Amino acid sequence: MKSINVLYVIIFLAIGILSVSFATQGNSYYALGSLSSDGSSESFDKMMSVLMHKRCVNCHPAGDIPLQGEDSHLHNFNISRGKDDHGLSGYQCGTCHQKENNNYSGVPGAPEWALAPLEMAWEGKTRVEIATQMMDPTRNGNRSHDEILKHLTEHKLVLWAWDPGVDAEGTPREKPPVPKMEYIAAVKQWIADGAIIPEN
Amino acid sequence: MKISFIINGSTKSVEVSDGNAPLLWSIRDGLDLKGTKFGCGKAACGACTIHVDDMAVRSCSYPVKMAEGKKITTIEGLSQEGNLHPVQQAWKEEVVPQCGYCQPGFMMATAAMLKEIPNPTDQDIDDNIINVCRCATYYRMRKAIHRAAAINSKNL
Amino acid sequence: MASDLTKNKGLKRRKFLKYTGVGVGLMIGGVWLGRNPIRRKIFELAETMIAPYQGDVSDPLIWIQVTPENQIILHSSKVEMGQGSFTGLAQLAAEELEVDVEKIKVVHAETASGNIDGMGTGGSMSVATLWKPLREMAATMRLMLAKKAAEKLEVSIDDLAFANGVFSAKNRGITYGEIVDGVTDWEIPETPVLKKRSRFKHIGKPIVRVDLYDKVIGAPIFGIDASYSDMLFASVVRSRLVDATMSNYDTSVAENMPGVIKIVKEDDFISVIAKTQVEADNARHKITFDYTTNRSWNIADVEKEITVGNGRKTIIQKEGKSIEEIDEDGDIISLEFRSPIGAHAQMEPNGAVANYKDGKVEIKISTQVPKVTRDEVASALGLSKEDVNIVPTFLGGGFGRRLHTPNAIQAAKMSKAVGKPVKSFFDRKQEFQNDTFRPPTHHVMKAKISKDKKILGIEHQFASGDTLFNSALDPGVEQMMRADIGSIRGGAIIYDLLPHRTTYYHVDLPFATSFWRSLGLLANAFAIESFMDEIAINTNQDPIQLRLNSISNDNPYGERARKVIQACADKAKYTDQISNGKAMGFASTVDGGSPCAHVVEVSIEDDEIKVHKVTVAFDCGIAVNPDQVRAQIEGCVCMGISASMFEKMDLRDNKLYPINYGAYKMALMRHTPREIDIVLLEGADYPGPVGEPPMGPIGAAIGNAVRRLTGKRLTTLPLSLG
Repeated sequence: MKSINVLYVIIFLAIGILSVSFATQGNSYYALGSLSSDGSSESFDKMMSVLMHKRCVNCHPAGDIPLQGEDSHLHNFNISRGKDDHGLSGYQCGTCHQKENNNYSGVPGAPEWALAPLEMAWEGKTRVEIATQMMDPTRNGNRSHDEILKHLTEHKLVLWAWDPGVDAEGTPREKPPVPKMEYIAAVKQWIADGAIIPEN
Repeated sequence: MKISFIINGSTKSVEVSDGNAPLLWSIRDGLDLKGTKFGCGKAACGACTIHVDDMAVRSCSYPVKMAEGKKITTIEGLSQEGNLHPVQQAWKEEVVPQCGYCQPGFMMATAAMLKEIPNPTDQDIDDNIINVCRCATYYRMRKAIHRAAAINSKNL
Repeated sequence: MASDLTKNKGLKRRKFLKYTGVGVGLMIGGVWLGRNPIRRKIFELAETMIAPYQGDVSDPLIWIQVTPENQIILHSSKVEMGQGSFTGLAQLAAEELEVDVEKIKVVHAETASGNIDGMGTGGSMSVATLWKPLREMAATMRLMLAKKAAEKLEVSIDDLAFANGVFSAKNRGITYGEIVDGVTDWEIPETPVLKKRSRFKHIGKPIVRVDLYDKVIGAPIFGIDASYSDMLFASVVRSRLVDATMSNYDTSVAENMPGVIKIVKEDDFISVIAKTQVEADNARHKITFDYTTNRSWNIADVEKEITVGNGRKTIIQKEGKSIEEIDEDGDIISLEFRSPIGAHAQMEPNGAVANYKDGKVEIKISTQVPKVTRDEVASALGLSKEDVNIVPTFLGGGFGRRLHTPNAIQAAKMSKAVGKPVKSFFDRKQEFQNDTFRPPTHHVMKAKISKDKKILGIEHQFASGDTLFNSALDPGVEQMMRADIGSIRGGAIIYDLLPHRTTYYHVDLPFATSFWRSLGLLANAFAIESFMDEIAINTNQDPIQLRLNSISNDNPYGERARKVIQACADKAKYTDQISNGKAMGFASTVDGGSPCAHVVEVSIEDDEIKVHKVTVAFDCGIAVNPDQVRAQIEGCVCMGISASMFEKMDLRDNKLYPINYGAYKMALMRHTPREIDIVLLEGADYPGPVGEPPMGPIGAAIGNAVRRLTGKRLTTLPLSLG
């Protein structure tokens, strides 16, 4: 099991470096792994601009109610996370959200549609707080760097952010500010560089 | 395309030109089971609630293609061999419906909840039952849900 | 005639009102009508009237059908939209037919049957207006059955015995079914004397709803469930913008979409007809067109229009001077109130299923006005009324939304265009975008209080949009009355011992507004009853006593109103004191002659108003079915909480928002009070309106409780602490 994980990392790092190279062609000032004096890096900046976007934060709320929509309002009907973050027994996330977006209803969907556990709440936190908590095994579901990498770059629910579908009026939902491949590359770069979290 | 599933105990097929179309319309117009209602078309009101593999699902937002091979129950299949389901029985005893349009969805949601929470508190009911009833029959529904739980526990 | 109207109270009401519904403009049109005192008298009547039933009640055979199989079928010209009138009407019929209610099957009368109600179903009038006529018809029918029984048994009618639904004589019995078997010729006798109230067996009993079982099993009884074989599905293009026209349609993409049969282009609409609903909607979304707007509209523009002083002014009540004219010394207190645009949000969308064939059309539809629907379809298609048959279905909620049915015309035109039956329904977005909304309102309440805390006068000025105006039910009221008697409902001040005055301003709006359960009552009562509470606080009076002391016996409902107010306060143990973080609020109204009072108990939790308990005292006269009267009260309380605390439409750049449930905030299970305690009084020997009057007090009662809890007076619906 562990060896498979390592293999994944190697493969994805390879792909990551390739795609970063691809994404950065013609971007002369971009330097791989460059660190500024306070420890921040372009890869960290890019990653965090995505993780702090509503497509991510809406499902990492600080309370029991998911956030919803472009204005991140509390989910209509006071939908609640329930004991396993999949909703309550009368309705679960899957009562309305299926494995893919539904353009008929405007209801978004992806595999394993659910909330992040409360201890992984991001809403209202700074990027440093989010990153610190994300890399802290006592607060990230005891995930290793590899496992975090996998969640951030492979989990279909996370990557849904770049395929968020349309709302009930047929208006496309806003995507995160960084293109998907560029984001994946940035995450990989940041972890490869030692997952250094800047001071602010 | 042709989609097959087991609905209310029988295997049925429907023919659709788009597999992403809502299962609701295949149930209503394809199979002529009209108890499942169209209310909002975006999984917001619960009038179209059915069970897919025993879980409450809002069929207006459920692509028909995903129903392939699944076990589906609608309000018509909630009663068994002509006997009302305990939830329907309780709804009848408390004389819940007014216009009645949303009631199948509420009964399906309640039946799903009671499987997980056999004896819900008022708070459980407030939290779990989030369908919309414009006649606002919520007051009697709450009584009926408690009564359904009591009928269930008597039957055990 | 004018003097008759003002003097002879007893006779006048029935006679006058009989003319009110139809053609009243023609009958009373004339110079004298322009005189304000008469108009005000009419307003007073409109507040409390029970208009007589507007249809044929002389022929029991179009109402009551007995089959040879001994089944009694009641053909109701009133539709069932949840209010329970099918059950109430069955009780009335059962009483005089001397059968159990379960023996009677109630169905909607098709217009082709000739059983047509001119007014439609609304105004909480079904049981009230049919109270006497239906019992008379049932009694007459039973007499007709008895006569035939006597003939068949070859005895005198006086020798017949009757028990358990069987007439008998000479040891031979005959059921109703056996009596009618083979009979084609009926003679309608003089109406027999009706049973006395003391002998009622069914009226006044909490009999279960006649439609209960169908609604528990999910039977296909609604308009949207109706179908014809070989039916096609339609999707009509409707405007997303208000005050806009659409042009330059491009249907080229839609025409080639899967399942599309035809694009229908009529003078006033364009639509897709396809094999399935999904295909019709998909293709409709591909039709492009241009909008031309007359001007830009935002909600602030609407509020600016809906402002006291703007619009056409009518004085509704003038039992005192306007506040500024009062000479005595005192302080003027004044508050302004607003209510928002309200959506119907009835669960079943509007639509119709039409089958046009050989110059005739049949339409299955959820409508509150089968006659209006028929007449409009006939007119639009150039058919005679006899060639249009409206088959009313059960309504998935009415609330006034189905008093307008242009969708029936569209479905009929499309069926004609495509040569097959067509089903055409709104989707939910269209429902919210193209609703006939409850008009927004603005109210200025003023009172003058003397130094010794005497109330020198109270004044209500308010502005609102159309309710009755521009509706198919408007029988020339606009020209005649100048004030929209729907918008002013509940607007008059019932506290006749206080000098009072009410002035109404009618405003035209750029979107359709119309009937919404209880019409103007919800907003008007919110303003008046909130202000009464403020007067009580200002004059150091108990709010109950203030009201009791302000209603006279000259008011035809005064005594009943006072009893209701007292009963509610007693049952709830009303107090001004805050206890365990909870405060009580009181309000009362008289609507359609049915007094109602509410005491609510609220607390503030997480900065939100929480309603824990509502005590209701209500006097609708005879409660034909006390269980269903209670059901209507419970529904009014919860829908009233929803409208008062959550609901509002917004208007941005000519677009109405929200466009679906969820975003349109409504009260749900968790907002429902844990306890609704109901006291029913029966202060009259006839049944009055039930389905709307209990909506009246709720908004003000909650606001009054919040005032006592926090010191803050809430003046805008939906109520918000923020």
